[in-house]
Amino acid sequence: MVIDLDKCVGCQACTTACKAENNVPHGSPDEQRLRRDIFWNKVIAVTTGKYPKVNTELISMPCMHCDQAPCVTVCPAKATYRREDGIVVQDFRRCIGCKYCIVACPYGARSFNSKEQEEKEYLRPDLPPDRSVWGQWPFPTRTHGVVEKCTFCFHRIDKAVKEGKKIGTEVVPACVEDCPSEARKFGDLDDTQSEVSTLLSSRGWIRLREELDTKPKVYYLLK
Amino acid sequence: MKKSGRSRSREKDQKKLTIDRRTFLRLSALTGAAVGASKILSPLDTPAAQPLPPKNPIVPEENWMVTSCLNCQARCAIRVRVVNGKAVKITGNPLSKVSDGKICPRGHIGLQVLYDPGRINTPLKRTNNEKGNGIDPQWVSITWDQALGEITNRLNKLREKGEPNKLLLFYGLNTISSQDMISRFAEAFGTPNLISGDGLDSETEKSGNWMADGHYAHTAYDLDHTNYVLAFGADMVESSKPLSRFLRKWGKIRREKPNRTKIVVINPRYSVTAAKADEWVPVRPGTEGALAMAVAHVIMSEGLFNKTFIKDWTVGFNSYKELALSQYSPKEVSKITGIQPETIQRIAREFAQTQPALALRGQESINWPEGSFTSYAIFCLNALVGSIDVPGGVLYQESVKYNEMPRLVEDEIAKKGKAKPILDFRGTDRFPAAKVVTNQIPESLLENVPYPIEIAIGFNSNFNMLSPGTDRWDKALKRLPYYVHISPFVSEMALYADLILPSTTFLEEWGYDHSPPGSGFAEVKIKQPAVVPRGSARSVMDIVFQTAKRLNGGVAESFANMGDHAEGFVRFRTETLVPWKEFLKKGVGAGKDYEYRKYHRIFQTPSKKFEFSSGNLKHLLAKTKKGKEEGLDYLPHYNEAKFLGDKGKYPFILLPYQPLMVIENGSQNYPWAQEIFLPMDGVGWETLVEINSETAKSLKLMDGQGVWVESPFQKIKAKVKFSEGVHPDVVALPSGQGHTSYGKWQQGIGVNPNEIIGVDYDTLSGQAAFFNTRVKVYKA
Repeated sequence: MVIDLDKCVGCQACTTACKAENNVPHGSPDEQRLRRDIFWNKVIAVTTGKYPKVNTELISMPCMHCDQAPCVTVCPAKATYRREDGIVVQDFRRCIGCKYCIVACPYGARSFNSKEQEEKEYLRPDLPPDRSVWGQWPFPTRTHGVVEKCTFCFHRIDKAVKEGKKIGTEVVPACVEDCPSEARKFGDLDDTQSEVSTLLSSRGWIRLREELDTKPKVYYLLK
Repeated sequence: MKKSGRSRSREKDQKKLTIDRRTFLRLSALTGAAVGASKILSPLDTPAAQPLPPKNPIVPEENWMVTSCLNCQARCAIRVRVVNGKAVKITGNPLSKVSDGKICPRGHIGLQVLYDPGRINTPLKRTNNEKGNGIDPQWVSITWDQALGEITNRLNKLREKGEPNKLLLFYGLNTISSQDMISRFAEAFGTPNLISGDGLDSETEKSGNWMADGHYAHTAYDLDHTNYVLAFGADMVESSKPLSRFLRKWGKIRREKPNRTKIVVINPRYSVTAAKADEWVPVRPGTEGALAMAVAHVIMSEGLFNKTFIKDWTVGFNSYKELALSQYSPKEVSKITGIQPETIQRIAREFAQTQPALALRGQESINWPEGSFTSYAIFCLNALVGSIDVPGGVLYQESVKYNEMPRLVEDEIAKKGKAKPILDFRGTDRFPAAKVVTNQIPESLLENVPYPIEIAIGFNSNFNMLSPGTDRWDKALKRLPYYVHISPFVSEMALYADLILPSTTFLEEWGYDHSPPGSGFAEVKIKQPAVVPRGSARSVMDIVFQTAKRLNGGVAESFANMGDHAEGFVRFRTETLVPWKEFLKKGVGAGKDYEYRKYHRIFQTPSKKFEFSSGNLKHLLAKTKKGKEEGLDYLPHYNEAKFLGDKGKYPFILLPYQPLMVIENGSQNYPWAQEIFLPMDGVGWETLVEINSETAKSLKLMDGQGVWVESPFQKIKAKVKFSEGVHPDVVALPSGQGHTSYGKWQQGIGVNPNEIIGVDYDTLSGQAAFFNTRVKVYKA
């Protein structure tokens, strides 16, 4: 995934689109105070400088899907693993809720679902309805007591592969599809002809916390 | 290891097929069997997280419905994914060209607007006659028949007495189709008192345009082709209209055209827009008009203006030039605005030399007393560099040509009622150019001027929350003899109602809509029910139809032959624009492409040209003020802003701003919006008092502690936030929080800055002034 910080408007449509697509539970004032609210994609603000020479970078943070993912290394239950296509996923059935991965992740991309009373929470009338009716993914029912994170909307990707659609043009994750300034692009980094590869070769870019050698697959294009 | 009931039952289903890890462990403990664990634990790089087969494999019935959003005035075309009758996802409609099929984050919140647990399901009648904030109205459910019977009974009596003008109608954010119905209802009934919320929005933008080119409307900008943007207090990517268009075009002008557009933001507050722009110029609040004149000074003194456009299509240039050159040198203006003369010169040169360039203005620069002239001064910069009706310049929005409604049946009672003076004094010498003065209503109600009101109806309005001086609204609403409120939830205004009718949300109703000026070309969007209405909620249009039918005289007749119900009415109005079946399927109908340089017909001014000295204003003031104004008042100019509160006692200027996640329907009970409410501070569920860190230290405050913000009128308490992005004279407070009425996710969260803002107006347009209240801040 490539996120263009020059085009990004800091609107947080990625966050709300993700919440709706993946039925990510919302938080509450208390949960926010305890830093327990769950986000698969969050926009963070990094402010430097003094008035009037101030600079704030608004950075949208999905899971970086690192090639050398610390979360995968530390998981004792092997609940988190890297798929062949490079997406790092979390198997809720394997997860034992030890939160090692949350500590290990240098990007804060992971959230622990500490919501109680799963049934009530997910079937509450104020939430968009339970997705079990979807039959397939994502997350027909979710258990509390496990760690959750961004999946690059792999339910979309897998479906697209099955249907022979082109990933990156016809099918993209929800946050990419719903980005109003079209700052986000998704595609195959190994394919030199893909839009993401072209973008990366045309401009200066960074990856977050490069020094840790996690080899993240989310690239940020600079202004 | 704790497991939920569901995962256990799932496991049972699974047992027949495979043995998973936990079952395996359990089995091996019992039997001591040592099966090759590696086989069962399976290679980890195969997709082990494949979804489990569902318990009861239901075949989901999935449907994508096209409709349009109504969480703000942009009214974007959307597609809604409906599964088994439930809406599960909202996304943009790619056929809409206003925002290239994109929606803003508020669009996604539509699901929570629809499934808000605080929605009401039946009409509610007050049984406690005492009204007030915090007093339980003791609602009882009644049927629609009873409710409509009660309302129409009273309305008929009012007309029988020959006093239809004593009906007052409020409307907040409604579909264009509902607005058309409400206006027609007022016309047919015979009341001139139809009050929209526009007077709280940005009427000064409209009046500034009207002085220059005769269009009393918001401005449309050709953002696709512009190369330079000078934004005076315009929060382009937070609260400009239509927002989704600004968001989309921002991406476009930055990186989707050969030369990247430079964006300079002039604002006392480091907004998200400022953070994303190339340059932030902090300005002393209320002095943007002087700055605009200084930019004009530089452009004119250095001869950088567009000579052909000025010569052929403008009048009043010489007196404008004389004024700017004599009074607004960068050096003088630097003293007023606090911006270095060199910066002013540089910005002005860049603006004039990077063509096409746009000068934008937003609430924070023009919602001031005499803000019309600031608005006029900023708008004139566009004409100075020829950015009028050219690619990359100001556009003249084409309107949607809906099918005409049948002629209004206006009976004698209605005619007499409409001839009566209007409650908000629009068009009088108090507010000569005003089309609506929303915030004047409480005073008129409290003083019974020009006459007392007997019945009021509010359509999705929430003015006692959104207007400066909220307590006056509370007092006035309390005194209304009979108030009917129509909305999906019990808003702050509904608390004062005698009767509440539950209306549908935009995902459950019929309607047609178009965006505020922006795209240039016309585009109509449909609203059709994506899901069945919750409870017995009815759409505003159906409520008006059913009420009108029960009324005597010309009212019922005025609503005949135009469809009889919401769906029929939408079809009647739009079928001439788009074939009905196609409209239902595509959701949008676009007019013809925009045509530039229509100079011979766009200027609606006495000279039929762009006016630097306003002929429209001169004519109007001659009528209302009997010509006592002198020449200066027809030119764009700057007057020192008038502040409410003494500078010695109240040293700071309050700056209430609208964050993007404020939903404009009158409620904020939407957790997805609440938890990411203040992106620049990384928090939600809160109101933060943002103060420049140096100023805060001089006040001996500590970051994060509770403080009182006190104006001469009221005080509110919130947490202080030290900021590097606020002018030292300013205290910035986000609006949108502080709801008191209903809802777990909004009640008691944050505070409402409108409670402490004083009441003032731009006297020309009647726009409520939001930014000229002085405050002091101290430890709570």
